[in-house]
Amino acid sequence: MAGLAATLGNGAMSNSIPEIEDTKCLFVFGYNAADSHPIVARRIVRAREKGAKLIVVDPRMTESARIADLWLPLKNGSNMALVNAFANVLIEEGLCNKDYVANYTEGFDEYYKMVQKYTPEYAEKISGVPAKLIREAMRMYATAGDAFILYGMGVTQFGQAVDVVKGLSGLALLTGNYGRPAVGIGPVRGQNNVQGTCDMGTLPNVFPGYQKVTDPAVRAKFEKAWNVPQLPDQVGRMLTDVVHLTREGKMKAFYIMGEDPVQTDADAASVREALKAMELVIVQDIFMNKTALHADVILPATAWGEHEGVYSAADRGFARFRKAVEPKGDIKTDWEILSMMATAMGYPMKYKNTEEIWTEMIGLCPLYSGATYEKLERLGSVQWPCTTAESTGTPYLYAGNKFDTPSGKGLLFAAEWRPPMEQICKDYPLVLSTVREVGHYSCRTMTGNCAALQTLADEPGYLQIHSSDAARYGIEDEELLWIASRRGRVLTRAQVTDRANAGTVYMTYQWWIGACNELTAENLDPISKTPEYKYCAVKLEPIKDQVWAERYLEEEYSKLRHELSQPVR
Amino acid sequence: MGKGIIAMAEKVLTVCPYCGAGCQFYLVVENGSIVRAEGYAQGRTNQGELCLKGHYGWDFLNDTKRLTPRLKRPLLRRSRDAEFQEVSWYEAINFAATRLQEIKHKYGADSIMLTGSARGPGNEANYVMQKFARAVVGTNNVDHCARV
Repeated sequence: MAGLAATLGNGAMSNSIPEIEDTKCLFVFGYNAADSHPIVARRIVRAREKGAKLIVVDPRMTESARIADLWLPLKNGSNMALVNAFANVLIEEGLCNKDYVANYTEGFDEYYKMVQKYTPEYAEKISGVPAKLIREAMRMYATAGDAFILYGMGVTQFGQAVDVVKGLSGLALLTGNYGRPAVGIGPVRGQNNVQGTCDMGTLPNVFPGYQKVTDPAVRAKFEKAWNVPQLPDQVGRMLTDVVHLTREGKMKAFYIMGEDPVQTDADAASVREALKAMELVIVQDIFMNKTALHADVILPATAWGEHEGVYSAADRGFARFRKAVEPKGDIKTDWEILSMMATAMGYPMKYKNTEEIWTEMIGLCPLYSGATYEKLERLGSVQWPCTTAESTGTPYLYAGNKFDTPSGKGLLFAAEWRPPMEQICKDYPLVLSTVREVGHYSCRTMTGNCAALQTLADEPGYLQIHSSDAARYGIEDEELLWIASRRGRVLTRAQVTDRANAGTVYMTYQWWIGACNELTAENLDPISKTPEYKYCAVKLEPIKDQVWAERYLEEEYSKLRHELSQPVR
Repeated sequence: MGKGIIAMAEKVLTVCPYCGAGCQFYLVVENGSIVRAEGYAQGRTNQGELCLKGHYGWDFLNDTKRLTPRLKRPLLRRSRDAEFQEVSWYEAINFAATRLQEIKHKYGADSIMLTGSARGPGNEANYVMQKFARAVVGTNNVDHCARV
């Protein structure tokens, strides 16, 4: 989010998901739609059927790569070098839209200085992508007419993430691909309401509607509406600061709503250590999870299906979700629990329903002020900005090529490529990258409790490994093995596949036994503070006695299930 | 045949709780339980289509206990080596609120970190969470797990 917010003024998808199939060229970078967002993947297939060109940049032969016109299999951790080379080709070959660059962008001279040395030949040395292919990709992208960039966590989960996002947004600026349908750039969000959580200001630097906490006029507005004398004026801490701040004795209490950081955050051992050091851990959730085992108090909340509200889709689309069944047990909605907490702390808070909360919220946010419950009901979905009673929302941003930056222009930005922090070596000779799979989701408490989805895949999850690496270690398909990094060691099961590239192995992050975040490193992007989930050094240890390994797996799994069931009777 | 069943079935229009594509579909409810999901042709992003998770991802609401049990009552332990005890809402909230106040007074509001949730709770719950952090606790230390 930080990347696009800096260069374009808005961190969300510039265009809509339905527009994907109407573009002339799809440029997919570090994004495996088939496993992460199957419905978006279908749009990609449909775009292809309608004649769009498809360029895919990914180290793995993903489904999109399989049907692509051009597949650029880059080395893991070389994103920035390749993106700089793309810009280099666009400029040096005269493929950029000079009028557009002159009228609607700024920062070209410095940008050009930075990308000048990233010739395709130079980038080939770093990324392993042939120079010829880099040139072909940019010729295809720049001459398509309408081109749409999609990127995913193959970009954002590196130590150098924000720079790469800025770089990608620059390619669309150079070619004038903004401000009309079926162009632009789209980060496709991993979880259903990542966009909404940002929209609501669950961020340390902004109130709802992306209004800065450092702006005195904004604070005054919220102070008045919320009836408090003074709101904090310093940007707050990020979630990824928690481990080190706790170590330094600066963080004492943690109120966790609907997250499982022990399972989903990098370097799980450090997260556990932080939770143990906290004086108070409050967990508010729907299921017992690994994080809740460290709590002092657990507040049971209703789940999706048991309460109503609004989600934001990745393309800024607000839509209402509804209650289908009555909750079982003595549980409450998240907002009721928070209202009780506020009241007990001396701030009386009472809402009748979600509509009352929503109405208060849109009244404070010019960006959403026209998106009433009534309108959402009537139209089904409304994409913000929706600033007036008449507005039906905004499918694409930057109409008239007016960007939401202070100057109104799009910012061209490039940075030097930085290699990933942890390098492979003799002891840890393989790269581990964490990825998604289609049947499960996030920390798995929801999908793992669904019969059909659990049958599809269960513990300890799979390690995707290229056949040449598997042969070198003497590992057969479906065999159990150990994988270790400098931080931990876990059991996993081999899936020998040549869709993975040699030298890198891939794991999904939802497993308890095969918990890849016991292995990952917390090399944070300096701006977004997102950990480097996509790159750490590991080694493999084959297991001779597979019968023992299968039994060990069963025992460990039962033990964990028992530990997590125990507090709930 | 089936007339009675049709009369009892109810369709609830909703949005998928999994990825960020924002697919809209119906949950078909019979006798207070969800029995299946059905695509919604007018869904802006999915136009009736659903993936595996959309089709089968509602089952956890039936508390299958395949992996973990649903939380049903507030749980509290007054020391970390004690077992969790079921308590009333009053006791749980009172404990959590009192301890948060104590920590705030002793170490300052910025010693407290809070999270929103990018998953099931929804925008209203996240709005209330950041309001709680800012207006009640008095800190901007509020964040969620998927921020880039």
